[in-house]
Amino acid sequence: MADIRCHELCKTYRQGDARIHALDHVTLDVEPGSFICLSGPSGSGKTTLLNAIGGLDELDSGEISIDGTRVDQLAQGPLADLRLHHIGFVFQAYNLIPVLTARENVEFVMQVQGVGAAARREKSMAILQEVGLEGMENRRPAQLSGGQQQRVAVARAIVSQPKLVLADEPTANLDSKSAEKLMELFRELNENHGVTFIIATHDERVMRHARRLIRMRDGKVTSDNKNVSD
Amino acid sequence: MTLTFRLAWRNLWRHRRRTWLTASAMIFSNVLLVFMISLQFGSYEMMINNTLRAFSGHIQLQMAGYNENPKLRNSIADVRTVAKRVRERLPNAQVAARASGFALASSEERTFGIQLVGVEPDREPGVSSLPGLVRDGRFLDDPTAPEIFIGSTLARNLKVAVGDEITLLGSGRDGSFAAGIVTVAGIFESGMQDMDRSFAELPLTYFQDLFAMDGGGHSVVVMLPSLDRVAAAVTTLRNAPDIDGPLDVLDWEALNPGLKQAIQADMSSAWFMYAVLIVLVAFSVLNTQLMSVMERTREFGVISALGVRPRRLAGLILLETTLMALIGFALGVFLGWLITLYFNTAGFSYPGMEDFASRFNLPGKMYPSITPLSLVLGPAVVFVFCLLAALYPALRLLRLRPVDAMRTA
Amino acid sequence: MGAGGQLPLGALARLAWRNLWRNRRRTAIMLLAIATGAWAMIFMTALMRGMVDQMVADGIDALPGYVQVHHPQYRDDPNIENSLAQPDAAFRAAMAAPDVQAWTSRVRVPAMISSARDSRGVTLLGVDPQGEIEVGFDPADIVAGRFLDSPGDGGLVVGRKLLERLETDLGKRVVIMSQGPDNTVADRGFRVVGVYKAQLEALEETFVYAGRDTVQAMLESGDRISEIAVTGYDYRNVAPLLERVRSAAGDHAEVLPWTELDPYLGSMMKVMDGFVLVWIVVIFMALSFGLVNTLMMAVFERIREFGLMQALGMKPAAILWQVLLESLMLLALGLLLGNLLAIASVWPLRDGLDLSIVGQGMEWFGAASVLYPALKPNDLLLANAVVIVLGILTSLLPAWRASRYRPVDAIART
Repeated sequence: MADIRCHELCKTYRQGDARIHALDHVTLDVEPGSFICLSGPSGSGKTTLLNAIGGLDELDSGEISIDGTRVDQLAQGPLADLRLHHIGFVFQAYNLIPVLTARENVEFVMQVQGVGAAARREKSMAILQEVGLEGMENRRPAQLSGGQQQRVAVARAIVSQPKLVLADEPTANLDSKSAEKLMELFRELNENHGVTFIIATHDERVMRHARRLIRMRDGKVTSDNKNVSD
Repeated sequence: MTLTFRLAWRNLWRHRRRTWLTASAMIFSNVLLVFMISLQFGSYEMMINNTLRAFSGHIQLQMAGYNENPKLRNSIADVRTVAKRVRERLPNAQVAARASGFALASSEERTFGIQLVGVEPDREPGVSSLPGLVRDGRFLDDPTAPEIFIGSTLARNLKVAVGDEITLLGSGRDGSFAAGIVTVAGIFESGMQDMDRSFAELPLTYFQDLFAMDGGGHSVVVMLPSLDRVAAAVTTLRNAPDIDGPLDVLDWEALNPGLKQAIQADMSSAWFMYAVLIVLVAFSVLNTQLMSVMERTREFGVISALGVRPRRLAGLILLETTLMALIGFALGVFLGWLITLYFNTAGFSYPGMEDFASRFNLPGKMYPSITPLSLVLGPAVVFVFCLLAALYPALRLLRLRPVDAMRTA
Repeated sequence: MGAGGQLPLGALARLAWRNLWRNRRRTAIMLLAIATGAWAMIFMTALMRGMVDQMVADGIDALPGYVQVHHPQYRDDPNIENSLAQPDAAFRAAMAAPDVQAWTSRVRVPAMISSARDSRGVTLLGVDPQGEIEVGFDPADIVAGRFLDSPGDGGLVVGRKLLERLETDLGKRVVIMSQGPDNTVADRGFRVVGVYKAQLEALEETFVYAGRDTVQAMLESGDRISEIAVTGYDYRNVAPLLERVRSAAGDHAEVLPWTELDPYLGSMMKVMDGFVLVWIVVIFMALSFGLVNTLMMAVFERIREFGLMQALGMKPAAILWQVLLESLMLLALGLLLGNLLAIASVWPLRDGLDLSIVGQGMEWFGAASVLYPALKPNDLLLANAVVIVLGILTSLLPAWRASRYRPVDAIART
């Protein structure tokens, strides 16, 4: 149930002559069912941390495990499987495959998983309804608004019931109303289905929903408030 | 201008790989075109020279109708005098008189029907390469001697060697029985099957006696210093009142219609192939430049919002294409020249070519001829077509509306 | 393709298909280029094939036969002395085999023909008319008079051109001189009973036909013959027939296939087979730059998507497949178009392409002046296979690159 342990994570990038410490000895434990906001200015290491947990990026040193599995030691194939079955991603923008319709985008992951057509259809319709996109199943991303697109992305991220959803600035391109609706959706999934959320953001509208707020700066965790009251 | 130029140059290298791939398509075709065209020019030249040198010469004077239907009777009355007049008109040319007929040639063991040509022993080497292709013995040297110069296959078939005798049987110009005994003076090997198998030369005076020609002959052969002087020489001869008249002045194309047409047929199939190559390269350029325009729509929108006219933008695209085409041209010509140069010295051949080549009077190896024209002709056409292909993407820019363009992602 | 991480082929194909049409103009241009290339490959091949096939077919008819049997010295010295006995019963029995289409025996000697006006060197053929027709002489080529009716026929059939050269006519008498055994000059008067035409004027001037028995009587050569000509069913694969004739003819005779009897024709066919392949590959190469470019562009502008798909759990192999499928679709569509175009442009030429403007030039090549394009299934297959196989190989590079983007880098791009 998404018990995540990060130990002494380090990652540096080169930018011109400078070395940038994206992660500087970050140690962090996440309990199952958490709803965490990672905040901090751009370049503070939020995205790098998310990518490291999701196995998208390699570390210089440190250990990450999810439910006892060492993510940092997995080969590409098993990593893909881990993402496919256990982790959902929501990115800032360009989240969807442009040539597929909303429903096909949601079904994409299930198709890769090998779920049968009928089951896929049923699930994707249900989840699109749940995120409030009934009637828009057959639209292509270009025919949807930014908020609608993000909701399709969320639907896709949660449709196969992952235990962990990693979201990177999910509200960056959304107006306040859409952002609020998205966060309500996240909270509901967290509370009713026990999905663990880690959301990287510097959007106040998002941080208000956090139950645990981690602040980062220059690749270091500067504060970790585990009991944010509602 | 310099700024536009710099802009075009930098834009070209925004997508290095794409630019190189497109230029490579040009280079590939250009190299191929340079090599093929040079090879074509080289082999045509060789085909023409070998064929003309062997026997027909650049120009012949014959009685009207003789070329289509060579008859013993259709002869030039005093062929040596005609040859002398031609020599006076064309001081730089080699001129020789000939007479020809058919006869049955018998050795002790064998008999074959052959073509006989009476030649002037001292003049013939100037107009024909045959006297120089002696394998055994020597060429004829006495205009009156009963001697014969025969092909190698014929010698083998007749089972004769130098010094052996051959009996000739035929009918003379007046219908009389023509018979003579000649000694084999020499044997030639030309590599041309028909010549080697059924062709022989006699001294002209002896031929005239044998066939009761009474000083007559059938053709005056002219060999000029080079092929490009033929037209002028033909005009000179046609305008000479003491030569023209009953005589036809025939140039090498009329003497060898097959040669000219074989070259035409070969050229048209070659040009079809070249055209296809060029069109494919043009498609490549069209695609690349169209993409390059479309992905910069927003950028062009901004530039034109600043007040730059669409025509300048179209010019920019054409300039970019020109630069790319110049790279393709320069590298294509250079690499093509290198490859052609190699084959120009080493010779080019492919399996099975020898059987093939001898039929066209070509040696087993071909040598491409490098001339400025053969180097530049193909690549220049490619260059032009590349620019034409870029017209469509360039002209699209004329319809660019800044506001719409800037809204494009 | 294991489960999980891989999309089923159908879904992959749908993705590829939709991606193909994202940039319609670019795809259309590339399709046009492939179609033009395929058209040129097939059309040119059909023309060249048509020319060479006909040259070979005419050449074999003129030889005649796929395989000929001679006295070992005959080809060097075509005298009646270098002759063979009339084929025996064992040989006849061997020639009843199913891969033998027909065979005949003939006398063939150099001769001189004289009319009242002129003389020419020719090749005199003493033939069995029935057998001659079976191995390739087409009675429809007789333009005046008749063909011979029996080996004992006393008439002569000559070519149209020769008749003109000799200034003689059908029904007139001509004299033929040749050499009998022991270098005796044998001559005989013949009446011209028929005139034939041939694709090549050179043939019309060279061959004159007379009855085999008549020629043998004139040469006083008994029933000796110069050659046996055998035809089969597949001139491209003449080896089995050659073996059969060799074993039937015995060691004392020289048995050669048409490719060696007429090396020009033989090498022409080989050169043409080589040319077809070289031409197809050259055209493909000219296309390949555009193909790689198009795919590279298509991959380049979709890097984010590939990253996204990988982030969602799609394995790199599936992305590779997706790009390859896209390329395959492009190639297949272009080929389809090109094939149709080629067939459409060969169809109007089925009655022949008249090249008589360069007729004498074609004769130089040994080809007829009317060209019948030959669209061979094998050539079609070869052209299409080369494009598909090399096309896929060429696409491997862009496809491989697409699958190599690390998801995090890909997504970070804007």
